[in-house]
Amino acid sequence: MNFEPVMLSEKENALREEVRTFLAKQKHFLSNHSVIDPWFACVPEFSLLLGAQGWIGMTFPRKYGGAERSYLERYVVIEELLAAGAPVGAHWFADRQIGPLLLRFGTEEQKNFFLPQIVRGECYFSIGMSEPDSGSDLASIRTKGKRVDGGWLINGQKTWTSFAQNSRYMVLLCKTTASSDDRHEGMSQFIVDLESEGVTRRPITNLAGEEHFYEVFLEDVFVPEGRLLGAEGNGWNQVMAELAFERSGPERFLSNFQLLAEALEVLRSSDYREAARQTIGLLVTRLMVLRQMSLSVASQLQSGALPVTEATIVKDLGTSFEQEMVDCLRTQLVVEAGNDAAERIGQLLCGSILKSPSFSLRGGTREILRGILAKGLGLR
Amino acid sequence: MNEITNIIEESVSNLFQSHANSDAVEVMESGGFPSRFWEEFYDGGWCGITLPEDEGGAGMGLAGGYILMRLSGYHAVPLPIVEPIISTHLLSLAGLPPQNGFSTVAIADSSVENEGSYHFKRVPWARHASGLVVVIPGESDARLVWIDRAQLKVAERTNVAGEPRDDVMVNNEALKGAVILPGISPARVLSWFALGRAAQMTGALVKALDRTVEYANERKQFGRLIGKLQALQQQIAVQAEYVNYARCAVDTAIIHLDSPQEWECIAAAKISAGEAAGKVCNTAHAVHGAIGFTREHLLQMSTRRLWAWRDEYGNEAQWATKLGDLCLGIESGSLWPWLTEQSHK
Repeated sequence: MNFEPVMLSEKENALREEVRTFLAKQKHFLSNHSVIDPWFACVPEFSLLLGAQGWIGMTFPRKYGGAERSYLERYVVIEELLAAGAPVGAHWFADRQIGPLLLRFGTEEQKNFFLPQIVRGECYFSIGMSEPDSGSDLASIRTKGKRVDGGWLINGQKTWTSFAQNSRYMVLLCKTTASSDDRHEGMSQFIVDLESEGVTRRPITNLAGEEHFYEVFLEDVFVPEGRLLGAEGNGWNQVMAELAFERSGPERFLSNFQLLAEALEVLRSSDYREAARQTIGLLVTRLMVLRQMSLSVASQLQSGALPVTEATIVKDLGTSFEQEMVDCLRTQLVVEAGNDAAERIGQLLCGSILKSPSFSLRGGTREILRGILAKGLGLR
Repeated sequence: MNEITNIIEESVSNLFQSHANSDAVEVMESGGFPSRFWEEFYDGGWCGITLPEDEGGAGMGLAGGYILMRLSGYHAVPLPIVEPIISTHLLSLAGLPPQNGFSTVAIADSSVENEGSYHFKRVPWARHASGLVVVIPGESDARLVWIDRAQLKVAERTNVAGEPRDDVMVNNEALKGAVILPGISPARVLSWFALGRAAQMTGALVKALDRTVEYANERKQFGRLIGKLQALQQQIAVQAEYVNYARCAVDTAIIHLDSPQEWECIAAAKISAGEAAGKVCNTAHAVHGAIGFTREHLLQMSTRRLWAWRDEYGNEAQWATKLGDLCLGIESGSLWPWLTEQSHK
């Protein structure tokens, strides 16, 4: 396993300053939206602004509207946005994984059609993987694609689909041939227009009272031939290729960074300052090291590698950190959490407590990640 | 990693591997010194790896020294490695002549001064050293003095791993004539030794993980390899996470040497290695069962060292308190800018 540390250059440093200057002018976006879990805050106006800055799809080739920036440059931009609590949810999946997926497996027509829209910050994607009976066991999905004249007919149901209402498209994984001995065979990915006939989207309210995930019902939904993504039957491998992008980024340990930053402000002038030093030191250490691990993965992505095992480690340690931070800080702060608390710290704590179960569930549960690692260690 | 580094790693690994066996460790633990092993290491000039080439060194700086320390931890080398290398480095920085044999180190402050003499507790390998480098807090820069072994009163003690950690008494007079260590604070000197232990710990962590995976893949219970049991797989996966976490923290500190962020990166390295040590040892022993609890089984050579080293040159709590204090003291609203100074050239 490789976590060779990375030093950023002047180029990335200058870009970081640019992002900070930009964010200083966008205070209303930062205060009007939830700063806990900023990559689940969906604000299309803000995505358009970022698109205009050239900060979406920044690694994509120029011919598709991208800036051909490096993964380390992208890293710097997204860590600045997340740390500031900027609402980057609308374009998040398109930027993080659908773009790279299209670049790797898409047809020329698909790249020409989708990538420039993604880069502009106006084309959003959801990810259609989980189903009511298929959570961690993704290979057991039942949604089917049947070949018909000029394309495919999709039938089935997806669930926990984040932003299905805000996204025009969903990358859907389904079965395209009858089950064989190898349960990973016979799956394909499609780009489904969520405004197609036969698609029904129904919100599910989460325990924090928000509606960002959906059930998506697909009844005889026609998907034209040109919207098969990658090779027929190669769906499982394509999904696995996304994982290094999906699991290694700073969003896996910065979801509630604002809580830590605010806690520091509160504690520095409180009676509990002395007592809190050790806790703060331990939490900051975690953050420092996770950031270096994540940077290292970004640098490996840049060199063309797909460090899936390393990404798995970043996600498991990172999301555990996000969850432990809530517990560590609440006992130092001596404040009662509430969405309508008078103090900002009470609101941030409330948001963190309510959202924290999802940190380690989304994108592969802790137990699944550890199973992957065990395999990587030669134990399975 | 460049070619020189690879050659050094290979050559030192071979040396360590051929000598660092349980017999050598037993010699050390029964109060002896594996002299032939030491001579080979010493004659190879490895104590001077950090020195510039015109001083007879390898020109590798402290970063080069930490490579050897990590390897010594992996192979559970029953020799002083951290103290001789960094002491040699300090003598050179202070413009003092190199000494024969090896020197160990102690940091003097008022707490150890009593009635005309200094009482240093738990000085690594003092009984076998030819001298002691004492670092003395100054106005801002540290001062340093080398004291011959003949002037030291040594009471033998050991750490959890049976390594010499002796109490040393020295007359105040011997500290006279200390010279300035230009531009280097006592806290910085301490941090270099702490990073030395952390580097050794990453070696020992990797070894403990290697042994655990190997054992899980050969031990059978309930008719199958225990490595096939999900409960154990999950624990070993977490163990591997912490090993990589500590390695990344130490490697990060090494590339930040001589940068303005050196101290906080070293603090994070020692904290991370210390946190990892407890978790990694727990899982290693859980997986090995009773056989791993025997003196004969080699696992204890790694785990006992980890239990000892995590407390030396400051444990996680001590370093975290200092780091936390620093963070609580930085300008309001600047935690993030402070954090991102790291990793910028």
